[in-house]
Amino acid sequence: MSKARKIIEEVLSEGRNFLLESEAKMVIADYGIPVTKFEIATNEDEAVEAANRIGYPVVMKILSPDIIHKSDVGGVKLNLKNDQEVRQAFKEIIENVRKFKSDADIRGVTVQEMAPEPVAEVIVGMTKDPQFGPAIMFGLGGIFVEVLKDVSFRIAPLTAYDAREMIQEIKGYPVLTGIRGRPPADIDTLVNIILNVSKLVMEIEEIDQLDLNPIFAYSKGAKTVDARIILSKPEE
Amino acid sequence: MSNLKYFFEPNSVAIIGASGRDGSVGNVLLRNFLSKKFKGRVYPVNPHYGEILGRKCYPSIIDIPDEIDMAVIATPAHIVPRVLKECAEKKVKSVVIISGGFSEIGEEGRRREEEVVKIAKESNIRIIGPNCVGVFDSKTGVDTVFLPRYKLNRPEAGPIAFISQSGAFASAMMDWCASVRLGISKMISLGNKCDVDEAELLEFLAEDEDTKVIVLYIEGFKENEGRKFIDAARKVVLRKPIIAIKSGRSRGGARAVSSHTGALAGVDQVYDAAFKQAGVIRAKNFEEAFDLAKALFMQPVARGPRVLIVTNGGGAGVMAVDACEELGLCVPELPPEIQRRLYTKYPPHCIVKNPVDVTGDTDALRYRIALEDVLPTEHVDTAMVIMLFTAPLLDLTVVDHIADIADSVGKPIVTVVMGGMFAMRAAELLEENNIPAYPTPERAAKALWALHEYHRRREEIRKILFGESGYALKKRGVKSNE
Repeated sequence: MSKARKIIEEVLSEGRNFLLESEAKMVIADYGIPVTKFEIATNEDEAVEAANRIGYPVVMKILSPDIIHKSDVGGVKLNLKNDQEVRQAFKEIIENVRKFKSDADIRGVTVQEMAPEPVAEVIVGMTKDPQFGPAIMFGLGGIFVEVLKDVSFRIAPLTAYDAREMIQEIKGYPVLTGIRGRPPADIDTLVNIILNVSKLVMEIEEIDQLDLNPIFAYSKGAKTVDARIILSKPEE
Repeated sequence: MSNLKYFFEPNSVAIIGASGRDGSVGNVLLRNFLSKKFKGRVYPVNPHYGEILGRKCYPSIIDIPDEIDMAVIATPAHIVPRVLKECAEKKVKSVVIISGGFSEIGEEGRRREEEVVKIAKESNIRIIGPNCVGVFDSKTGVDTVFLPRYKLNRPEAGPIAFISQSGAFASAMMDWCASVRLGISKMISLGNKCDVDEAELLEFLAEDEDTKVIVLYIEGFKENEGRKFIDAARKVVLRKPIIAIKSGRSRGGARAVSSHTGALAGVDQVYDAAFKQAGVIRAKNFEEAFDLAKALFMQPVARGPRVLIVTNGGGAGVMAVDACEELGLCVPELPPEIQRRLYTKYPPHCIVKNPVDVTGDTDALRYRIALEDVLPTEHVDTAMVIMLFTAPLLDLTVVDHIADIADSVGKPIVTVVMGGMFAMRAAELLEENNIPAYPTPERAAKALWALHEYHRRREEIRKILFGESGYALKKRGVKSNE
């Protein structure tokens, strides 16, 4: 059994259909999709040790199946530069989440590398279409997707031609080829991410919806900063 | 697999619900099959008549002393299951159910349709419908379109097959094709699709020698039907092009979405993606569908996006360039040696960069020179020829010149013919020579786009189906026409 498959089974056996961010990232990493480095810490000391292994600055996020929108409840702290800040952030995150939901099932926090400023933020996603099955989406992050809905779709399984074409199809494509003196984004890496998402959702049929949002695209390589995977509800 | 051929070439037909009342559905149906065109045997069925239109009428299909290949049912919905059982007993091969009153009306109708499907499955009967206008075949004379000819003219025989989910759309299309003299091989209105669907018909039409291009009108697929459509269409487009018109109706029953992607996945965008991946050319509307169909059956595919534009009007040339570029085609400037060569044959006031502007004092020969000297070269893949016939020296011999070059060059040529009566005569003449003619540069550009799009998508699908070699495809029973 693949590592990804094992994680999915565990989540289902707990009666959940939302993967934790750490679980979602482990699943996609198992399919060769680049993710930000992270570790799970259950107390302040562990958080500090993790931060030192990853290297400053770091990001910390709440790890709880009861918290879906982590930033909305004060469950995310960015750009932490030293041990002291990490200790403080750990306390505050737990406190904020408890304030929001006193009986929340808190599994700890994730300590993550703070990904450097990207050339562009992109989003890759999947939703199950009732007529066609898994449909893969690509778009630029931020206002491009929020306001302009500048996204493209293909039905899985995809070919490399499909993946490349869906990247070129969006109106904001010039942002990825380098404008105003910025370097171009690494399109080949984005093509591979799309293809690996296609492979993942074809092989693990339990996945109902998936968002990799944002993915930081660099002139060489890319990093998935946040990932969300939702499984279809087991038959009742 | 396919016993669909009995829908198009039955040796004997029973019209169940035939009627003596002029203008009624059962009357028009019977008249259709009694026309000289249909060579098979025809039997009216209706217990209330002894004779209709001089034909003996049978109380039930069982009573007919002959084998029946196809039955057309136009009775009230509630007796359709009973009639279908009799068809089963009679070992009928194909049934077109015209009657409405099935899944389209709600729960009661849905149960009735399920009953119909069950009877058909058990007796190996194939069904088109219910709730449809059925089948029209210009060659065999099969015609279940229950609308009288004085209101709905029948198109002549031709290379376009038309599949429509909507009966009204199918009928309007037939009448329109008849009026503009566009030929149709077969028309199929699918209605509720309780048995035969688009995917199966596509595979059937791929084998049909009379059909060169397939036009589809789709409102929506049933659950999971989309995937089947993609697989079927991919095999078919290797042999002939498919054009789809998809109406933008929203999907029934919103679905809870908790992801970004789910919220952004518009129905239309997903269909758009599916058509691209299936190699199906999407048309905005009716008019465009037939514009593209015309180009695809008259002309070879465009192997690249580079367009040569020849015009005798500067403004029309600029409009053509804009239209091409907007569609992702390009109009490259011709290399100096070609420009020099053209100037040895043209007066100096002609412009030879691309568009090649042969100007208002042109004769037919200047068009020939541009096409002959430039189109065969490696610098362009296709040509748009714009003719304003108001130019005093331009006569209809230009049609022969264009047709001549089109025959030998192996690259597509489309034309824009602007103007009134004279221009219309020129357009007719061009199309008789298999050169598509359009009234505007925009429509001609879209046709060129389709010729290139079809080629490009087909090559990708060939790779998907064949893999590295032709072996995988052969194994799956897929044929190619090249």
